[in-house]
Amino acid sequence: MTTPQDPTPPALPEPQAPPLPGDGEPADARGELPPASRRSQRALEFRAALLLILMALLIGASVLYLMWVRGAFEATQKLYLAADDSEGVVVGMDMTFSGFPIGRVSRIELVEAGTVRIHVDVPVRSAHWLRTSSVFTLEKGLVGASRLRAFTGVLDDPPLPPESERIVLRGDVSAEIPKMVADARDVLQNLNRLTEAESALAGTLTEIRTFTGRLNSAKGGLMAAVTGNEADSKRVAELLDRTNQLVKNLDTVAVRVDGVVKKADTQVLGKDGLVTDAQAAVRQLNTLLQDVRQTVVKIDGVLKEVQGVASNANQATTNLGDLRADVESSLLKIDALITELNRKWPFAPKEKEVKLP
Amino acid sequence: MTTGFSLYGWLIGLGQGVLRWLFGWWTVVFIGAQLAVLALSPSSYGAEARGAVLRQIYRAAGPGLPGFTTLMALFNVVLIRILVVTAFAYGLTQYALDAVVRVLVLELIPLIAALYVAVEYTIPGGSELYKLRRSGALQALRERGVEPLSHEVLPRVLAGLFAVLLLAALSCFLSLVLAYIAVHGFTLAGVPSYNHAVGNIFNPVVSLIFSMKTLLFAIAVALLPVANALRDIPRRASRTSVELQGLVQMFVLMLVIEIASLIGNYY
Repeated sequence: MTTPQDPTPPALPEPQAPPLPGDGEPADARGELPPASRRSQRALEFRAALLLILMALLIGASVLYLMWVRGAFEATQKLYLAADDSEGVVVGMDMTFSGFPIGRVSRIELVEAGTVRIHVDVPVRSAHWLRTSSVFTLEKGLVGASRLRAFTGVLDDPPLPPESERIVLRGDVSAEIPKMVADARDVLQNLNRLTEAESALAGTLTEIRTFTGRLNSAKGGLMAAVTGNEADSKRVAELLDRTNQLVKNLDTVAVRVDGVVKKADTQVLGKDGLVTDAQAAVRQLNTLLQDVRQTVVKIDGVLKEVQGVASNANQATTNLGDLRADVESSLLKIDALITELNRKWPFAPKEKEVKLP
Repeated sequence: MTTGFSLYGWLIGLGQGVLRWLFGWWTVVFIGAQLAVLALSPSSYGAEARGAVLRQIYRAAGPGLPGFTTLMALFNVVLIRILVVTAFAYGLTQYALDAVVRVLVLELIPLIAALYVAVEYTIPGGSELYKLRRSGALQALRERGVEPLSHEVLPRVLAGLFAVLLLAALSCFLSLVLAYIAVHGFTLAGVPSYNHAVGNIFNPVVSLIFSMKTLLFAIAVALLPVANALRDIPRRASRTSVELQGLVQMFVLMLVIEIASLIGNYY
């Protein structure tokens, strides 16, 4: 009930309270449930216990699953990457190799040298992809997060030892944009300079237009365009006519030369031609040469004999020398003997000279 | 006599309102603390009390479990399909799984589970308790030497807590399985990459915020209706019933928890 003085609006009607279990019952009857009801309550409690177990299992399994997928049960090795800027690097980001995650950033710190040190946990089972020659890059695309990637060119190199420190190379697409825009602006300026009215290109195009105009004009056409005036083009045309005449004359000359050549051919290469005679002469010459060769062989034999005679004469000359020496020694002995006789013989003439016959 | 606006009166009214508001929250916190002490005391789990708790747990979670799970599975399928198809259409397939897990598992499922339990169990339970108190039944229990806080209130609060956690855990599990099927189809080939993606999303901070948020939702949903039933909410100048005022209060609290979790996750 509300009174006119009551400022509060009328409340919604309150329903009657439900009876409490055991409320209003005699004290001795409290807790003494009928057997069927007690059994159903036991069944209810059993189901509730099953639900409790289900929840405990679900939560426990979820926790274990999350720990497993986070790599809590996996042996890892550390890899330290040094970068000059930590922009785009977040804890938990993957390091990929050929698109597959093989490591996870676990910590980023600023070291004393002012560079950034990125700690990467690499599972031991994936560590064999990293070799001493591996290269690490941090790429920042236009869309999406940065990507930390590992490249291994030579898989036969020694494996990367744990706790290695490597430098990470940055590839920043957005950082390239200002440079690219500046380059593009230069190119556009050059293009503008090329295409403006006073540019060399425009001048060239004007000249070409004039040239093609002259080319298409009725006064002289191509020749007038090339030579510059009509008179020259006429002279060129005359020159061409004369050249044509000359070519015709040359043609006649060529026909005549052809006849001469034919005659020469007959005389030289014909049946009684020069060449046939020459061939016979050559054959005769060949025979002659063979005779000459035989003669030369004979002369060679004679010369050999002469050589033998000469050698004999030489030998005889040597023997004459010996004979002369023997005679000379004999004469010396005779001389000595006569000298001795003269010395011993008192009647010896005064002349000691022996007169040889 | 003037009937105009009085600053003094307005300030007094404002101060009283703030005090009432603070006192109300203090009562809620105090009842929560008492219940926490009771929940952690082994004496609260005698044979009879244990039975009462188990029965309330079944009442809270058992009847609604199949319906809620089926409904959530349908909702999950629809939402996952929308997210995956949109991601595919924009060529952002690598973010599809991430978006599904973040939107569904991290944000929507705990909220929906908490709201479901609130509407299905704790608010009617709080209303029942309020009527018992209004009818003097709790006082009668106290006079008989039975502490109503441990016999009537604690089982309901524990059951509410349990129901939120169970429904959220089950729905999250279901959602993860459905997300895998939606992205990879009926094959085991995508399991390693899926595991890796889930592991990346649930980093320690996100996992902690997620579990804290779910637990706080469960506490808010289980405690607030009961605490409101045990105190006299000052009637406002509206025809809103006490239950609805409690419901609004609960929604506001859940909103605050959700905003705090969003700030923690994404800032």
